[in-house]
Amino acid sequence: MTEHERKFLKISNLKKGFGSGDTRQEVLKGIDFSVAKGEFCVLLGPSGSGKSTLLNIIGGIDNPDSGYISINGDKLEEMGEKELTLYRRKHLGYVFQMYNLIPNLNVKENIEVGAYLSDNPLEIDDLLNTLGLFEHRYKLPNQLSGGQQQRVSIGRAIVKNPDILLCDEPTGALDYKTSKEILKLIEDVNQKYGNSVVMVTHNEEIRKMADHVIKLRDGVIRQNDVNENKISAVELDW
Amino acid sequence: MKKKLTNPLRRRVLREIKGEWHKYLVIFLLLVGSIGFVSGMYVANHSMLEAVANSVEENALEDGHFELKDEADEELLDDISSGELAFEDEDEDDEFEVAPVTLYENYYRDATEDNDNDGSNDGKVRLFKASNELNHASFIEGNAPQKSGEIAIDRMHAENNDLKIGDEITVAGESYEIVGLLAYVNYSTLHESNTDLMFDALSFDVAMITDEDWDDVDATIHYCYAWKYDDDYSNDSEQKKLSDNFMKALLTQTIMHGASLEDYVPRYANQAVNFAPDDMGKDKTMGGVLLYILVIIMGFVFAVTISGTITKESTVIGTLRASGYTKGELVRHYMAMPILVTIAGAIVGNVLGYTLFKKIVADMYYNSYSLPAFKTYVVYEAFFKTTVVPVILMILINLIVINYMLRLSPLRFIRRDLKTVKRKKAIRLPRFKFLNRFRLRILLQNIPSYVVLFLGIFFVVFLTTFAFGLPSTLKSYQEHITDDMFAKYQYILKSSTNEMGETIETDVAGAEKFSMTELKETGGVHPDEAVSVYGVEKDSKYIDIPDDISGNEVVVSSAYKDKFGLSDGDTVVLQEKYSDDVYEFVVAGEIEYMGGIAVFLSNEAFNEVFDYDEDSFSGYLSNKEITNIEGKYIAMTITEEDLTKVSRQLDHSMGSYMDYFKVVCLAFAAILIYLLTKTIIEKNENSISMVKILGYLNNEISSLYLTPTTIAVVIEAIISAYLSKYALTLVWTIILWQMDGWLPASVPTSTIIWIVLIVIVAYVFVMLLDYRRIRNIPMDQALKNVE
Repeated sequence: MTEHERKFLKISNLKKGFGSGDTRQEVLKGIDFSVAKGEFCVLLGPSGSGKSTLLNIIGGIDNPDSGYISINGDKLEEMGEKELTLYRRKHLGYVFQMYNLIPNLNVKENIEVGAYLSDNPLEIDDLLNTLGLFEHRYKLPNQLSGGQQQRVSIGRAIVKNPDILLCDEPTGALDYKTSKEILKLIEDVNQKYGNSVVMVTHNEEIRKMADHVIKLRDGVIRQNDVNENKISAVELDW
Repeated sequence: MKKKLTNPLRRRVLREIKGEWHKYLVIFLLLVGSIGFVSGMYVANHSMLEAVANSVEENALEDGHFELKDEADEELLDDISSGELAFEDEDEDDEFEVAPVTLYENYYRDATEDNDNDGSNDGKVRLFKASNELNHASFIEGNAPQKSGEIAIDRMHAENNDLKIGDEITVAGESYEIVGLLAYVNYSTLHESNTDLMFDALSFDVAMITDEDWDDVDATIHYCYAWKYDDDYSNDSEQKKLSDNFMKALLTQTIMHGASLEDYVPRYANQAVNFAPDDMGKDKTMGGVLLYILVIIMGFVFAVTISGTITKESTVIGTLRASGYTKGELVRHYMAMPILVTIAGAIVGNVLGYTLFKKIVADMYYNSYSLPAFKTYVVYEAFFKTTVVPVILMILINLIVINYMLRLSPLRFIRRDLKTVKRKKAIRLPRFKFLNRFRLRILLQNIPSYVVLFLGIFFVVFLTTFAFGLPSTLKSYQEHITDDMFAKYQYILKSSTNEMGETIETDVAGAEKFSMTELKETGGVHPDEAVSVYGVEKDSKYIDIPDDISGNEVVVSSAYKDKFGLSDGDTVVLQEKYSDDVYEFVVAGEIEYMGGIAVFLSNEAFNEVFDYDEDSFSGYLSNKEITNIEGKYIAMTITEEDLTKVSRQLDHSMGSYMDYFKVVCLAFAAILIYLLTKTIIEKNENSISMVKILGYLNNEISSLYLTPTTIAVVIEAIISAYLSKYALTLVWTIILWQMDGWLPASVPTSTIIWIVLIVIVAYVFVMLLDYRRIRNIPMDQALKNVE
C-alpha cells in the first residue's frame, strides 16, 4: 500500500465547537488521524464525545472551525457547497441509524435513488442478492422489518460504489440478531467492493471487527489503534 | 458504459398524485374550470371581434354620423362633403386639414313599439329604410322585408322580448309581421343615445322596413347623415384627426347655412359601435386577472402542501442531500407536481375553452349584444395567457417557496431542524384552561396556513360580494331612481314655439316649464362626461333649488357630487359639445338625484347664460301625462322607464348569471377551505395519532384540532367580507369613472352577513370531511414515525 493509499482519508487538527460566549462548547479539540483505502474504521465513544459531529464533517455536511479533511488528496475545506455536493455524490455513501427511505418507492427503486447518482453503479440485481432483498425488491419500506429497511439503506449507499461508506450508528435501532446481520453485511460490502468504511458506534464489541479503532472522549482521541486480530461480525457477542 | 438511469424520484410524482388523488383532482378541476372559462372567453372574444371587424367592411359601417334639425339641401350637403371650412376661425390655433367625405342619407324614425299588441307602448323602435347604402344589417335568421307590412327587428331585442319570426308587432299603430332577425353593423349594442350609460335591448329596438312603409310611418323623421372619409386612415389616431377636421368644417358649414346641428358622433366615439368590443376587451382583462389571482392562490396551496411534505420528509431530504443529490435536483423534484397538475389543467382547460366554454361565453355575449355570427379562430394569446402565464406563475411561486425551504444544510434536514427563527421559550399564553391553550398553540403553529387561507377566503368573498353586490346595487338604484324622479314625465320639445311663433302651452294641471341642455365636463375623473344643465322655474314643484343662488352659482345632482367628488364652492368648467364655448359654474348646493350628472339653476339664469330669449324653455315637467301637445313638437319624453333602463338592462344581462355565480363561489369557498385545512391536519397527523394513543376520543381530538380552524375561518370570513365591501366599492367606482353616468355600489350589512354565512356553510361541509379524516388517522402512525 502506498503512502497515498494509507492516508486515503486524512483528518488534520480538526476543531469544532457550538454556541458562543459562556455557553460555547468545544466538541472536537484537535483531531488527527487517517484512514487507509479499503480500511474498516470504527469511531467509538460515549454520547457527546463528538463522534457523529466528526462523521458529519468527514461527510462534508458540517464544517470544522479549523483543521482540514482530505479525501484522496482533495481538501474539503477548499470546496464550495456545489462542489461538496458533487464530491459526496461521487465519493461518499451514507448510512444512518434511521433508514430514511422514501416511503412511496419500492426497495429496488430506493436503491436506484443511489444508483442514479453514479456514472458506473453496481449491478442492482446482484446487489439485491448480496443484501438478501431480491425477493423483497417490489415491496414498499412499510412492508419491511427494521433490519430489512436498514439493508435497503445500505444498498442505497453502496450501489454507487463510493470510496468511503459513512455509517452513523447503523445498528442503533436494531435488535441483537439483526444488528449482527447488518454488521456482517457491511463487512461483506467492505471486503467485496473494497471501500473504506467509517462507522460511528457506541457498541464497544464492534471494535473487534474493525481494522482501525479510534476512541473519542470529550472531543479528543483517547485511543487510535490498528486491530491486528480482527474477527468476523458473526463472531461478535454482546 | 452503462445507460444512465432516469431519476427514480420521478416515479414518486405519479404515485403521490395517485395517493392524494382527491386533493389533486380538486385543484385540477379548479384549474380546468377557470382556465377553460378564461380560454373560452379569449377564443369567443377574439372570434367575435374578428366577426365584428369583418362586418365593418362587409356591411359598410359608417365613419360617423351627424343629425340636422331639418333636411339639408344639396348645396349644404355639397359644402359639408367638401370637408372645407366655410370660414376661418380666428381663435383656431390648430392646423386644419381638409377632410372630404361622402355623405349618405341614414334617416330614421323613432316610433312606438307594442310587442304583444295589447295597445300599451312597450318601448321604442328606430326604423331604417331597407335601401340604405351604408350601415347594413346581417341577418341571423330570416331575411329583409320585401313587402309592405313586413319588418326585420334586432335579434337581441327579439330574444329579450320573446319575439320570433312570424310574430306580429305594432309599430306606430300599424301591424307588422317579423320576417327577419338582424344585427345592424352600427348597433352592436342598442344604445338609443350616445350619451346613455347603458344600452337597452329590452325597450329599445332597431328595425328595417320597406321604403314605402317607412315613408308612411307616423313618427318624426330624424335627418341623420352618415359619412365615409374619402381619405383612408390606418389607425384610431388618424381617424380621430380626420374626424376633428371634419367636425370643424361641419360646424362652420352648418352655421354658414343656418342649419341646426343636433348630433355629431364619429365612429371612434360611437357607443353603439364600440361598447361591445370595448366591453369584451375589459371582460378579457378581468377574466385574465381573476385567473391569475386563482392561479396564485393555487400556487400557494401547492406551496403550503409541499412545505408540509418537505417538513415531513426532512430526514429523507437530508439523507439524499448527504448522498450527493443537489438542491436543484430536489427543487425540481418537488416542483414537478404543481407544474404537472397546472399543465394538465391548462391542456384540458384549453380543450374545453375551444368547445364547451367558448359556447357558454358566446351565449353570454349574444344575450347582451347584437353581433353577427362568428367562426372560431385559434387564438395564440389565449394559449399564452391561459397556459404559459399560469405555468410560469406556478413555477415562480413554488420555486421561491421550495428553494427557500430547501436552502438549509443536509445536516439540518437530518436533525429535523428546519426552523430559521428559533424561540428559546414557547410563547407564554394566558392562563386559559389546558384544552384552550392547546387549541391556541395549534392556531399559532399554523399561522402560515391561516395566512394562505385568508388570501383564499378573501378572493372567494370578493367574488361573492360581487355576485351579491351587483343585484343589490341595481335594486338600490332602481328604488332610488324612482324616488328621485323630478316628475313622472319630462317632455323635451323641439322648440318652445310652433310654426306660427306661438309658445307651445299645455293645460295639464301641475305641468311646469323647464329648460335643459347638455354640456360636457372638461376635467375631473371623467373628462367629456355628458352633464345635463337644467333651468328651473322659481318655486318649482318638481326641482327644489334654493332661492339665494345667484350669478354663476348652481346646485349639482348628488350623482355629480359623488362621482366627481365636488364640494360647495368648487368651480365646474363645462363645455359645449360641438364648440369651444365653455361655462364656469360655482357649486352652491346639492340636490338628491342619482339619475344623472346634472347641474341646476334658475330658468332666468339658464336663458341668460346660454343667451336665449327671456321666456325660452325646453319642455315640461309633469306628474300627469300631457296629451294636448302634438307629437310633432315633442322631441323626447322621459319617463320612469327611461331612467331605470340602465339597471334593468344590467339586471337582465348579468342578473341571471349572478345566481349561478353565487353557487360557484360557495363551491369555490368549500374547495379552497378543504385544501387548506387538509394541510393543517396533515401537518398534525403524528400529534393526532399520539393523542389517540393517550386515550383522547375522536370528538375531543376534532374539537382540539378543528376549533382553531373554525375560529380562523369565521374571523377571516368577517374581515374578508368587510374588506371586500370596500374593495368592490372602489373597483365599481373606478369602472364607472370610465363611463357616463353614476350608479353607486350598494352592499348592505345584510349582504355581508349572508356572505359570512355562505363561507361558514361551505366550511361546515369541509369540517365533516376533516372530522372523517381525523377519525381515520391510525394510532400506529405516531409510533412508526418516532425517531
